[in-house]
Amino acid sequence: MENIDQEVKELVAKIIKRRPDEININANIFREYRVDSLLGVEILAGLDKKYNIDIPENKLKEVKTTADLIRITSELLSKKKR
Amino acid sequence: MDESTSKYWRKYLRIDEPIDQTFLKNFHSLNSILNPPFFFIIDMLSRSYFSAEAHGLENIPDPPYIIAPNHCSSMDQTMVTWAIGRTRRKELYTLTTKFFFDNPFARFFMKIGANVVRIDTEEDFMSALQAACKVIKLGKSIYINPEGTRSETGELLPFRPGVGVVAVETGAPIVPVYIDGTIKALPPGSLFPMPHKVRIYFDRPIRAGDLVKEQRSERAYDVYKAVTDELYERVKVLKEKVSR
Repeated sequence: MENIDQEVKELVAKIIKRRPDEININANIFREYRVDSLLGVEILAGLDKKYNIDIPENKLKEVKTTADLIRITSELLSKKKR
Repeated sequence: MDESTSKYWRKYLRIDEPIDQTFLKNFHSLNSILNPPFFFIIDMLSRSYFSAEAHGLENIPDPPYIIAPNHCSSMDQTMVTWAIGRTRRKELYTLTTKFFFDNPFARFFMKIGANVVRIDTEEDFMSALQAACKVIKLGKSIYINPEGTRSETGELLPFRPGVGVVAVETGAPIVPVYIDGTIKALPPGSLFPMPHKVRIYFDRPIRAGDLVKEQRSERAYDVYKAVTDELYERVKVLKEKVSR
């Protein structure tokens, strides 16, 4: 799980063009890092590509922080393994 | 542009899904009854009271296309739809924020003058983009304010990249438009227009496909942003030419 935490953090950092150590996983990415909604979709696309998971459209509204992204990714990966 | 990221956008935008042909009926104006007398009055006012002029109408391509003007007055949309003429007006759908659409008084007046699509850019931006793409996929054109809100000073506000997404993913050309004089004729907060000259300039269309080829970014976002930036520059140049 720790691995996913770090990977998602690195992916978010790469897409929003920051250093991974600058990312606080509990910070609101839209407010703190000035990520707009379109860049938010770009992050989901990055997760989809990396883990081959299908993130449903309605999950977009649930995402506020990197921790939310980690949770959604973990849930979808567990479902995939079942 | 990264193919997989674009695929993801297309999935969210539902670009490749079939569209219910009755979708547009929800947004039609009160065309047959009130629209002709409304534009008869607007036409008289535009020519006499505002000495309005439209330039570059020959730059408007065949539909579908995206009309993207600056925005600083509540009369902007009416002036642009007056300028493009009756035939084009009937094929044009204006994207309007819920703030105006949910006000029955404002909605009534908007629907006299135009086909109006309600969007919620703050809470549900993806539905707004989906609606814009659907209209275009049905062969109609859209009117969108890329600034997202009115400029209180007449200076251009930053353009939001949603217009770039719609242009890239549907292939519809964007017509940059600069509206001059409406901020003096009907500034924000005013109820009655003043007799001030209004000029509307239509520039050559931006074809997003050409810009997409030039972009080498991994992020689709950068491509959408590049198209939006090009639009901003073109409107800015029109503004500077007019202001000289």
